[in-house]
Amino acid sequence: MAHKLENGQGAKLTGQIWQLALPLSIVAVLVIIWQVSVQTLKIPEAILPTPLKIIDTIILRYELLFQHTWPTTKECLIGFVLAVGVGVGLGILLALSRLFRTGVYPLIVAFQVVPKVALAPLFIVWFGLGTTSRILLAFVIAFFPMVVNTLAGIQSTDPLMIRMARACNASRWQIFWKIEFPNALPYIFSGLKIGITFAVIGIIVAEFVTAQEGLGYLIVFSEGNVDTPLLMAALTILSIVGVILYAVVVGLQKLFIRWDVGQVI
Amino acid sequence: MIKDSLHVRIEDLRKIYQTRRGNIEAIRSVHMGVRPGEFVSILGPSGCGKSTLLMVVGGLLPITEGKIVIDEISVTGPRRDTGVVFQSPVLMPWRSILNNVLFPVETLGLSRREYRPRAVQLLEMTGLSDFMQNYPSELSGGMQQRVAICRALIHNPSLLLMDEPFSALDAITRDNLNQELLRIWHEYQKTVLFVTHSIREAVYLSDRVYVMSPRPAVISQIVEIKLPRPRALSIQETPEFNAYVAELRRAIEG
Repeated sequence: MAHKLENGQGAKLTGQIWQLALPLSIVAVLVIIWQVSVQTLKIPEAILPTPLKIIDTIILRYELLFQHTWPTTKECLIGFVLAVGVGVGLGILLALSRLFRTGVYPLIVAFQVVPKVALAPLFIVWFGLGTTSRILLAFVIAFFPMVVNTLAGIQSTDPLMIRMARACNASRWQIFWKIEFPNALPYIFSGLKIGITFAVIGIIVAEFVTAQEGLGYLIVFSEGNVDTPLLMAALTILSIVGVILYAVVVGLQKLFIRWDVGQVI
Repeated sequence: MIKDSLHVRIEDLRKIYQTRRGNIEAIRSVHMGVRPGEFVSILGPSGCGKSTLLMVVGGLLPITEGKIVIDEISVTGPRRDTGVVFQSPVLMPWRSILNNVLFPVETLGLSRREYRPRAVQLLEMTGLSDFMQNYPSELSGGMQQRVAICRALIHNPSLLLMDEPFSALDAITRDNLNQELLRIWHEYQKTVLFVTHSIREAVYLSDRVYVMSPRPAVISQIVEIKLPRPRALSIQETPEFNAYVAELRRAIEG
């Protein structure tokens, strides 16, 4: 590494530049290899278009792509926010009440095993082909990691810290808000990061199945027309959306968690 | 105040734990009286129940039989007139050092504005004023334990309970903190109940040492430490000091 014993800003900046430059360079190299091999081996466009063709498609058909990007992003976010609200809330309830935990937690674990994407056709039967089914699927998939992580986070509180709080005359409520909840935040954010990825998956699968609108619909639609450039253009936009959403969650994590979490996730 | 009124009175204390494998009698019988401003140590090997005794005095564990009275009021739970320092600092990693010290002010419903100057003063006294806005992870173990002591003193309790607070630290830090503790004790005139398994530490710090037997615990011996105060660390080299150490060692082993 280029920055062995430097201290302060210099080393930090160099490190950050490396963190960005290295992966980007690798991607650039892969893209170049991709471009060159497709051209040299004369791979048909219907099988694998060149990167340049995909960029071209994005520019030419950006209206269509943008028209479908918005519903995907919107429904994904709604499903995610619902999952956070219900998931974290349920996690807190489970942590606070032993009775609730004994009764409900086994049910949650059992449902974890059911492949939630298989629920998509059922949701269509119940809620139709519209927005509701898709949001619900994103919600159902994203919700479980939040519950589990929130519960784990709260239960990971050091019992000695709780005893310390009791020595300071803290009430049960104060112990929850001032000790157990902040302690759980790193775990909760870990759940959020998993959850946002799952929410994107949920939305796309729902769009595959409902086939009405969205980037997932566009992917299926292009597949039907063997329009691989459009398919890969939609895929690229989808990946960018996914990365942006993930980055937003990471940004929120940095905002809320300003202390050194050390070994925790 | 009557000359020999006791600050802390423990009468016929018995403590039994209920575990899955049956009842464990941690403390069979403890009788103890502490006058205001005294520094009293409870000495014994690990697992003898001395920490349990301290937790019961602090109202953090229930009494099975007997009575504990602090300032003429029976102990039924955690109290405002008591501060506790545990074996590990248990500072909240998400709060700054200053906000860690002010934690009891919040839970006791006191005014943060009113107590902030006191928090600053305590931190200054323990040499931590440069670290008020730092996070606990940025401090060493010894420094964190000093913060924990400040936290235990912020609400001006009359009784300080300390459960082997320095046993996790290295010998040099431990010596420094022992000295610092005595300085704080002289300054603030608190009554201190100090649990330790270090004979030398008990002799150095205390006016009186209670030796606890292994479980089911009783007080096997009480030794008055009549060394002059203030005590520099060098007092540990004197024959008088070492005589006390020998006496206590006999009491523990005998």
